[in-house]
Amino acid sequence: MSAPVRWRSTTFAYPGGPTVLDGVDLAVDEGDVVLVAGDSGSGKSTLLRSTNGLVPHTSGGRFSGDVMVGERSTRDNRPRDLADVVGFVHQDPEAQFVVDRVEHDLAFSLENLGVDGSTMRRRIEEVLDALGIAHLRHRSPGTLSGGEKQRCAIAGALAAGPAVLVLDEPTSMLDPQGADDVLAAVARLNDDLGTTVVMSEHRFERAAPLCTWSVLLDAGRVARCGPPADVLVDHPGAPPVTHLGRLLGWVPPPLTVRDARAHARRDPTLAGALGEARPGPGQGSGSGAGRGPETAGGSVLVRARGLAVAPGRQVVLSSVDLDVHEGEVVALLGRNGSGKTTLLRALAGLLDPRAGIVQRDAPVAYVPQDPGALLFAPTVRDEVMQTRRLLRRASPTAPGALPRRARRGRASRTVEPGAARADDAALVAAWLDRLGLQALAARHPRTLSTGERQRVAIAAVAVGGAPVLLLDEPTRGIDAASAAALERCILEHAGGAGAVVLATHDVELAARCATRVVVLGDGEVVADGPARTVLAGSLFAPQVLRVLPPFLTVAEVTSALATGAAAPARVAGTPGATAPARVAGPPGATAPARLDGTEPS
Amino acid sequence: MITSDRTDVPALHSLAWLAWALAAAASVQIAPSPLYVAVVVAVCLAVVMVHRRPEPAARAFPVLLGLATTFVAVRVVLTVLTVHGSGGAGVLVRLPQITLPRLLGGFAVGGAVSWSVAWQAAAEGLVVVGVMAAFGAFNAVASPHELLQRVPRAFHEPALVLSVALAFVPATMEAAAAVREADRARTAGQAVRRGRLVRQVVPVLETGLERAVHLAESMDARGFGRAAPAPGEQVAAWVGLAGTLSLGGALVALVGRASTVALLLGGAGLGCLALAVAFASVGWGRSPAYRRRATDRRDRLVALAALAAPVGLVVFDRLGDGSLRWRAALPLRPPTLHAGPVAALLLLAAPLLVAPGGNRGAAPGQEAGR
Repeated sequence: MSAPVRWRSTTFAYPGGPTVLDGVDLAVDEGDVVLVAGDSGSGKSTLLRSTNGLVPHTSGGRFSGDVMVGERSTRDNRPRDLADVVGFVHQDPEAQFVVDRVEHDLAFSLENLGVDGSTMRRRIEEVLDALGIAHLRHRSPGTLSGGEKQRCAIAGALAAGPAVLVLDEPTSMLDPQGADDVLAAVARLNDDLGTTVVMSEHRFERAAPLCTWSVLLDAGRVARCGPPADVLVDHPGAPPVTHLGRLLGWVPPPLTVRDARAHARRDPTLAGALGEARPGPGQGSGSGAGRGPETAGGSVLVRARGLAVAPGRQVVLSSVDLDVHEGEVVALLGRNGSGKTTLLRALAGLLDPRAGIVQRDAPVAYVPQDPGALLFAPTVRDEVMQTRRLLRRASPTAPGALPRRARRGRASRTVEPGAARADDAALVAAWLDRLGLQALAARHPRTLSTGERQRVAIAAVAVGGAPVLLLDEPTRGIDAASAAALERCILEHAGGAGAVVLATHDVELAARCATRVVVLGDGEVVADGPARTVLAGSLFAPQVLRVLPPFLTVAEVTSALATGAAAPARVAGTPGATAPARVAGPPGATAPARLDGTEPS
Repeated sequence: MITSDRTDVPALHSLAWLAWALAAAASVQIAPSPLYVAVVVAVCLAVVMVHRRPEPAARAFPVLLGLATTFVAVRVVLTVLTVHGSGGAGVLVRLPQITLPRLLGGFAVGGAVSWSVAWQAAAEGLVVVGVMAAFGAFNAVASPHELLQRVPRAFHEPALVLSVALAFVPATMEAAAAVREADRARTAGQAVRRGRLVRQVVPVLETGLERAVHLAESMDARGFGRAAPAPGEQVAAWVGLAGTLSLGGALVALVGRASTVALLLGGAGLGCLALAVAFASVGWGRSPAYRRRATDRRDRLVALAALAAPVGLVVFDRLGDGSLRWRAALPLRPPTLHAGPVAALLLLAAPLLVAPGGNRGAAPGQEAGR
């Protein structure tokens, strides 16, 4: 049986650009689910787009070697000629719909392929069921949630009955619920129909367990390929439990929480090695995990009281009380539509409250979810510099102007009308460094990957020197290296007398860098407290906590191992056995309470 | 089986909506008196409120109305400046008068501005607002795809491209709002006017362009434009070209005052175009479209009721009802409203009797529940 897709020494460079794919030799077996991993710019997207000939037919550029889909080469077949064998789904669920009705959009490719009417009807019923979207058939794609949109887009690619389904980061723009739905649908397709799936993902927590094969790309070459556990084990984007397993010497390293719990149960030396069952204080990640709002030393920078916001006619937030203190990293969690973005926009003064007040004692800057809304300059450095220029042009007497900070003795971060350009250049360079953008400084922001763009947007806003930074989904669709740079930057900013508020779906991010977690539900604050307390009581606790409570992050386990002494009985017991009970049980079971008592502040 | 009571299917077929919109636009032309136009605009507003589709595309209605109003305001100003009333009585204000150089037309600008000219211009402008309201409402309530399925196949692809392009209008509006907000947030709320246009226009254009490229790739990957043109389409293309050329020839002949030649060429051109459409639409077919929606009794009733409105107005016009038109002649008399024409116009409100989309007892609901 021939492989559905085979790359033969494929080399490719975009017009006027460097080599992106460098002699790729790869074959995908029928019925496999292949995960293509790699850092930003390693050529993942290009590899996927070469499957149906979008590279090089749409992109242009230098192409050598060959990509065979079944018996057909992409050299002689345009993407539209391969539409019956390769289904392609883009990262952005918005930009894939042609028709304003879901079932008619599914029919689009069938109509193009000239399938007769009765076959068309049958195929559409089948894909509607295969993806579980039969109830959405009469809806308009514009009114669906992100996860629903992406499932409809996959159905649209699948309607023509392709042998291979190519998904380019299908979940990076989705919330966890939507991502789960999409991946579950993909797994079911593979099980039921035997469709071969090739997909790329930055975050492996969800995707890795369902993959049968994985490929790690590095600078356009296949660095490694094999079963996901072997290939991904030391990749920074691997799930936290994998890192934990590697740290504790579990073989094979686990990919799922369930595997990790089994290891933890079997590991007799674990309890002794972990020493005291409390996370070490002070290390970079989770550094302030025990500090609550009442113990945070800093003064209040932003204060919301009884805040209600109703943009349009619908009430999105009601009676929200929130204080943001100096030195805090506040993570806003909550499902889609719970009001996270609205709260950030209200705190930033972009929405007028319907009731209540927002009192800003320091300038507040906001980075929107889509960095594309911000970027206009021709180079990254220029983009970041623009903010400084804008601030110098701004009238210094405007209400809430930045110079207020000057009185607090932070001259280096303020804007004074006569400030020298050299200062600005140094500040810009510092932020580029901090976010790992120095190497990209001369590139056009629009040519960067999602993660890189996000970092540019954050640098461009943060360089203005506003002490309070509001970040909306800063880790959406970004790779592990970008996320790490971002986390360092967030901690550094909060440490330097600033405060950061993150709206995020990423519990791991919250576990690693938040000092405080606020959970929103239906426009109201349903939980507000130190990160450890709130996360421990949550059904969506971070992975490490679910395996080895009360540790939140791998870093905490590392430092516990380093300082390991006598083992208290509780952790020495069966963490695997207690964890499910705690996850299912009411918030604030014994462990968090005990922890708060012992946590040094 | 998951069932859902929610559908985004409009209550009426797009053809019914098209008939309704054409009837509304025609009524505005037949009864251009400001009061009747106001009735039509009010009916359009009510229809949009009840039947608006949930998609962002439907949000363009107020924008279109605003656009029309701006156009009318500009028109009134220009008319008032360039058209001079009889002078004497009814002068609103006297402006300094300038005569433009011959190169620019050599007419006088400014001078005495009369009431009647201003009123007349505003009343004529209101007709434009009425037509815009009718088509804006059509855009907000009808599904472009249903119309697309009814387009002769020769025009299917251009029409598809057009409908996709139209979908970018609301996306661009959203992007513009996001960019404006991001710009404000970047400087922590301080407004910087200089260079604001570049800062706000470039990201909107770039975002739009990126999305267009993504959509094009997605359409390409789903086989759009894959089928080689059928023989009928090739014939249609040549016949269509011949038709266009002869129409061009007819125009030249008209300019040259050769009316017989112009008539012949024009007839031939129109004939060729009709043939082209026929060639492209008949036979040699690709497959039928998926589940083309059929018009039902309700669609036909609404369409008939709506079309009866302009017919009724024509009847009243023939019967000599003077209230349909209004001239802002001196001495000014306010426009009047008669019961007959108002009743005719209220036929345009027939869609309000139909339950809005999604609650349709028949087709889509059953389909979803099956």
